Amino acid sequence: MERVRARDASAFETLYDAYNRLVYGVALRMLGDAAAAEDVTQAVFMKLWSSPAAFLDGNFAAWIARVARNRSLDALRTRAVHSQVELPESMPIEEKIEDVAFAHLNADKVRSALLRLPNEQREPIELGFFNGITHEEIARRTGIPLGTVKTRIRAGLRRLRSELDGLVAV
Amino acid sequence: MLDHTEMLDTVAVYALGALPRADAAAVAAHLKTCPECREEYRLLAPAADSLALSAEAKPSDLLKVRIMKAVRQRDLPVTRAGRPFVWPVYLVAAACFALALVSTIGNISLRDQLQLSRAQVAVLTTHTNSAEHSLAEQKLMLADVMSSSARRYPVADGQVIKSGDRLYIAVHDLPAPPKGHVYQAWTHEPGSKAMTPSITFAPDRDGLAVVSVPQHGSVDAVAISVEPDGGSKAPTTKPTFIAKIG
Repeated sequence: MERVRARDASAFETLYDAYNRLVYGVALRMLGDAAAAEDVTQAVFMKLWSSPAAFLDGNFAAWIARVARNRSLDALRTRAVHSQVELPESMPIEEKIEDVAFAHLNADKVRSALLRLPNEQREPIELGFFNGITHEEIARRTGIPLGTVKTRIRAGLRRLRSELDGLVAV
Repeated sequence: MLDHTEMLDTVAVYALGALPRADAAAVAAHLKTCPECREEYRLLAPAADSLALSAEAKPSDLLKVRIMKAVRQRDLPVTRAGRPFVWPVYLVAAACFALALVSTIGNISLRDQLQLSRAQVAVLTTHTNSAEHSLAEQKLMLADVMSSSARRYPVADGQVIKSGDRLYIAVHDLPAPPKGHVYQAWTHEPGSKAMTPSITFAPDRDGLAVVSVPQHGSVDAVAISVEPDGGSKAPTTKPTFIAKIG
């Protein structure tokens, strides 16, 4: 990132090569449209190039995934799909979250960990993350009481965390 | 009022990014004061973030071409407002000029080089609004504008450049002055109570202007303003910018 801040286009290209699948994948999953996902991907990387200071600190992959998710939420809003959620792109607490595990993960490991979650936990988690809807909307769509949705999301994330910790020797 | 177990559940939803904004703001505030909830967030946020990885997919190769092309067209520092701006034409032209000189210097004679320089400068004059400058002045100006050792003072949509004892104003996106008016440069000498009138100029149709500002002593500020044709003895309009220079 230091080289990108110094306007090094080749360093930017390296970053693009490393993270384009992540950014595009998030956008594609959320928007379900390849052309729109490419537009979001371009917007995310151009933001990175024009405002590299927007990335403050911490895990870069987690940050750029959040940016991709927020840009995709913007795109969903313009389609008049109601969405009230937004992820903070800077971490909302003072301490840096533990991100060592994230840095060592890949798509296959996360997918396999997700598949090991009970469906009743995986479904609300994926709805909340990729559909840009609130827990209240998840409850409405699934017909599950709001409190149960919250409990299942927490239990699912805890289990996912445990699964991921087991996959990564850190 | 949420009991604490319910609060921990809400923190999980917050980590997932599925809370309405108002609720998310309340949770963020709560995290600052509650170690238990903060620890829960520290545990769950990486798991939530990792979900993005599960969606990885490959975009078309053309996307990279599109993005890198856009990047190279924007390959200049960010403006004061954080807004990137397109590589100014005068710098592109100067860079082409410099590259042409560098790439040919090893294998052409000085005479050929001079002819090439003249050809390049002839092109540049269409962009630099100073067609009456001599070849030597043009070359000096371009060398100064491109010089890595020049001192640069950002102004709205451009720079004031000081290279040695020479001063330049290089601006882009400068609106055309009203009919019957021009832009006029002003310099200020330390201790003086008034601005000294300097060169008048107009941007080209692309809003580009690169002008050499004559100076006859120490200068600590440069400004431009819109003035009637022929210039004024003192500014009659609010300056478009004032750049303090060291």
